[in-house]
Parts: sequence; structure tokens; C-alpha cells
Amino acid sequence: MTSLLREARFLLSLRSAALAIACLFLLTAVAIGAGLVEVARQEAAIARIGPQQKADVAAVAAWASKGRDPGDAAYYTFHATWDPPSDLAFAAIGTRDVSPYVLRVRALGLEAQLYEGEIGNPEAALPGRFDFAFVLVYLAPLFVILLFHDLHSGEREAGRLRALEASVGSTFGFWGARVAVRGAGLFIALAIPFLVGAAVAGTAAWKVAAVLTVILAYLAFWIVLGLVVARAARSSLANAMTLAAAWMALTLILPAIGHVVINSAIPLRQGMELGVKQRTAVHRAWDVPKSETMNAFFRTHPEWKDTAPLTEAFHWKWYFAFHQVGDEAAGDLARRYHDGVLERAAWSERLGMVTPGVATQLALHRLAATDPAAQIAYQDGIRAFHGQLRRFYYPYLFRDKPFDRADFDRAPAFQPTSEDGSWPGALLAGVVLMTCLVGALGVLRSRR
Amino acid sequence: MTTEGEGKAIQIEDLVVRYGDRQVIDHLSLGVAAGEVYGLLGGNGAGKSTTLQAILGFVSPTSGRVRVVGLDPSAEPVGVRRAIAYIPENVALYDHLSARENVDYFLRLARLRPEQDEMEAAFRTVGLAEEAWSRPVSGFSKGMRQKTAIALALLRRASVLLLDEPTSGLDPGATADFNALVSRLRGEGAAILIVTHDLIGVADIADRIGFLEKGRIGDEMVAEGPDRFDLRALHDRFARVRAA
Repeated sequence: MTSLLREARFLLSLRSAALAIACLFLLTAVAIGAGLVEVARQEAAIARIGPQQKADVAAVAAWASKGRDPGDAAYYTFHATWDPPSDLAFAAIGTRDVSPYVLRVRALGLEAQLYEGEIGNPEAALPGRFDFAFVLVYLAPLFVILLFHDLHSGEREAGRLRALEASVGSTFGFWGARVAVRGAGLFIALAIPFLVGAAVAGTAAWKVAAVLTVILAYLAFWIVLGLVVARAARSSLANAMTLAAAWMALTLILPAIGHVVINSAIPLRQGMELGVKQRTAVHRAWDVPKSETMNAFFRTHPEWKDTAPLTEAFHWKWYFAFHQVGDEAAGDLARRYHDGVLERAAWSERLGMVTPGVATQLALHRLAATDPAAQIAYQDGIRAFHGQLRRFYYPYLFRDKPFDRADFDRAPAFQPTSEDGSWPGALLAGVVLMTCLVGALGVLRSRR
Repeated sequence: MTTEGEGKAIQIEDLVVRYGDRQVIDHLSLGVAAGEVYGLLGGNGAGKSTTLQAILGFVSPTSGRVRVVGLDPSAEPVGVRRAIAYIPENVALYDHLSARENVDYFLRLARLRPEQDEMEAAFRTVGLAEEAWSRPVSGFSKGMRQKTAIALALLRRASVLLLDEPTSGLDPGATADFNALVSRLRGEGAAILIVTHDLIGVADIADRIGFLEKGRIGDEMVAEGPDRFDLRALHDRFARVRAA
């Protein structure tokens, strides 16, 4: 304890080190603040849906209930769905930045509606958001390099090494205290702003503990790597350059190559194909006999087969049927897209086993329920809700039941599934494994 | 069994140190008693630094025996380093800290809690000007740095002092001050080993001088009479050892 206090005082006396820790603290605080603001903005947008939805439905009801066809109600009524941010989303915005978290759907073809979002500049989204995950994964290692690259070599170059080691009882205890204090300084700079953010967001205690574990594991990896490089007894400059190269490789180059390989191996062209196929199937219905569309529809929905036959005149049930046929025509592609997103996520996780930066980022996204799996879960929730909408409207459409004002209130309401994040055990194990591997390589190398 | 040097603060017997195929120390034996200054004189590559590292426990003997206050530095480095104050050729302190803060830090490294009045008394003893005590040592001369290091040794109450080229680069006045300090520490019972290539410097202060060449003591001279050493004879014997 005494040696830790002594080294803590010493660290604070080093202006550059104290400044580095303060700088990391500030960056983390800004990232946490930005995350809280973004989550508050998303929550405010979600909170506005309720009243707006009510007003919108009231306007449609006022118009559509005046002796109109139930198809008018089904066609013109939008139903809101939303994906509320988790209590940890402020720390890792993840896919919430690029995927819609509010979607208003109609009982029409779903596939064309699923990917509708507000127009944003994709290039602006490319670098990602400045959130806590960004600070931890990309910036914190630079501060580790700053504080650890000359830990040993700096003393040797200044000619103090022998005098220092001759002054201490245990050299292991001395260096251990120095490493622990510097590591603790960085941990505190990351953890305190995060804890404040977690208190503001009301984050569950287990998630707070999990994030602190992730911080600890990731810092430990970089510190061990720094110590292994320092064991090579090269100059501080050479150490700094080696570690900077490792940072480039582990946080930028390898993940980028990995993602290119994954994206090439699991192409998601289905997104584009899906939209085209669904639209083609839908639009084709205008050009073919209605019976062809209805026969296709009845094959999968025989429960409506014995309803009144269609005439040459326009009927909403035909319109909604060809939308559903369009969805079903694209069903296979939709499933492949769905599975492809999850498969890419699974391979990214495997990539994380050898790149601690990727593992750390994925671990935070999983805890915050802002990963692709959460995005898919929201889509699945929309699909299920859309099914309810169809089941609600179809009796009116196919049985020509009148749809009055009270029926609007009977329409199903979306219930968001609360994605709560999950413990990223395998990802954390990957970081710990890589740390042990790097440490073991360092020990082996120093014994040679 | 009692050996000849038993009871000496530093006792090296038949020490051999090899780095791979290269033998750096070749059956070296020497002893330094409490209250004695031993000058280990040698040129570059003679094995002076390796001898110091073996005493400090940074290098393990290939064979032979090293004891410091009766302890084996390889087996008990903590106890040995507690007894030793090591002052390198260029006393490297933390430039951003003052003399007072440096001494405080290094004493805490040795698990000692320095009292301010003790520290000031040590600074006075070594002759470090009061205005320098709280000044960052970045502006210190080599002599001032050495005084700071010796003040540290005093405060550590080290019974063994290892001085590596202590007077190189010091002006005559600073050398005289330094020698006076060493004499004082000797008088207080410290065993002092000075490792140097400066024959004249060590002759002023040492009680015995060993000539180290190719990792072994080639010859040894003991101070005698009021003039202590005959410089001419000292030089001749050193030259003979180096030529051998």
C-alpha cells in the first residue's frame, strides 16, 4: 500500500503523465456526455410518437369512418414501432446510429418498409460515433503506450535504472507498483466518467460491473503488450514505434481486413435484391390477371379462399393480397438477409478472439444491446407486429366487415421487446486469452 | 571453517562471472572491512562494473562467493540492497523533482520515512547549499548531484557504499569536498568500495587499492605513512599489471 501511494505521488509529479490521464478523463467525459445527449434525443423522439400517433390515427379515423371502405383505414393508418435504447446505450451507440429505431408501418408489404429510415449521409456515419466504446477501443491504447513505452527504458536511458533497483527491496514490487499505479490512473480516467454516466442513465449494476471488467481486461491487454515490448530492452523511441505499429495493426488494419474478408465471404446483396424482388412482385400484380395473384395468395392463406370472388373492379383485398404475395416472393431473400447479418456478427465475434479491440467493441455493443443481433431482434419484433396488423385488418377486408371509429382503437399496439444486453463471456475470454498469450510470449522470449 | 576475510562488510571469494563464452570476472577475491575505503582500479573492460553488479545482486556468479554484510546478494538481494548505498558515475535523479523530493522518493523506495530535520541535517553535512534544497535538480552540477546522493546514503545509514567513478568530471574543489565526505563516512564505520580508472583520485582517499585487469586482481597496495601512497610506485605497478 505504501509503495502504491509513493508511486501515485510520483506519477502526479510527472506533468506529462498527469496531463495524459487528465486528457483521457476529459475525452471519456465528453464521449459519455455525447452518448447521454444522443440517447436523450432518441428517447425524446420515441416519447413524441405516442401523442403524434394518436393525433394521426384520429385524423385518419375522422376521414375513413365516414362510410369508407375498411381498406382505407388499413391503407392510410400507420402504426408506430420503436426500439427504446437500453440503459447502457449511452456508452456504445453501435447500430442505433445507422439503423432506424423508430419505424411506422402499415399493413402493406413489409419488406419495402423495413429499411425505410430518415435520409442520412452514409459517409458521415462511416467513422462511427464518438462514444465511450470509441474512446476505450481506439484512444485508450494510445494513452497506455504514452505511459508505458518508456516505463523501464526511460529509467535506463536517464541512467537511473541501477540506482533505482539498488534502492528498492524488491524490484518486482517496485515495477509492479509503478505498473499498477499507471494502470489504475488510466482505469480511473475511463471508469469515473462512465460511472457518472451510468448513474445518470440508471444502468443496471451487473452491466456496470461488466463494463468495468471489459475496461480492465482491455487495459490489461495493452499494458501486458507494453511490458512485453519494454522487455526487449530497446530504446524508448523504438518501444513507442513498435507499440504504435501494434496499435495500428490491432485496432485498424486487422479489423478492417477481417471485415472485408467477412463481408466478401458473407455478401448481403440480399438487401438490394430483396427490395427489388418485393417491388417487382408487387408491381407485377397490376399487369397480371387478379386471379393469378389471388391463387398465389390463397395457396399460403387458404383461410380466405371461400370469401366473395373478385370482380373486375378494384378491391382492397386484392391490393393487400398482392402486397403479401410480394413479401412472400422475397421471403427467402429476407431470411437469408436475416441469417447473413447474424452470421456476419458471429464471424466478427470470431475475429474478436484474435483482435482484442474488436472483442471489446463487440462486448460493449452486446451489453448495450446495440449490436446487429439487437437490430435483428427489433426487425423480428416489427415482423411479428406486422403479422398482427394483417390478422387484424384481413377479416374486415376479406369479409367486407364495416370498419368504424371504435375499430381504430381495437387495432394492435406495438409492444417493444426490451433487449437488455447479455454477458459477453466469450468475447471477454478472447481478450483475456490474448493477454495471456502475449504475456506468455514475453516470458518465453525473455528466457531465451 | 573460518576464511581469511570472514566478518568483512564486502567479501568476494574466487568469483567467476561469464557472459556466454566470455569470462568477465576471473577468480576475483577481495574484501572491504567496515571503516575501510577500497579503491578498485582498472581500465575499460577490466570488470569493474560487473564486480559492482555482482555485489548488488544484478549478476549471478558463475562460480565463487559474494557476501555483503554476510548475505548472498543472489539469494537475498533485498537484505543486501538495504545495506548498500550505490552511487553511480553520473548521479541521475529525477530532474523535475527538487533535491528534497528526490531524497524523499528514494528513501521511500527503501521503505524509510524521512524526517525533514534529518534530511536538512544530511544536506548540511554534505555541503549542499540551502537555496538548492527545494530547487528542481535539473539545474544541478555533477558535484551537487553527488552531494544529494551522498546525503541520501547518509540518511539510509547504509553500512556499505559503492561508488562508481565518483570524482570523474568534478573540479578540484568539489573533489576535495567529496573526499572529505568519504573520509567522514569511513570514520563512521562505513565500508566503501570505489570503482575507478582515476589512479590519482583514488590514491587520495583509499586505504587499499586493487589493480583489476581482465577480471582479476593483478596486484594490491596498502596505504602507508603520512603520504599514504607513492604515486610513482602506484603508477608503475598499475602499468605492470596492465601490461601482464
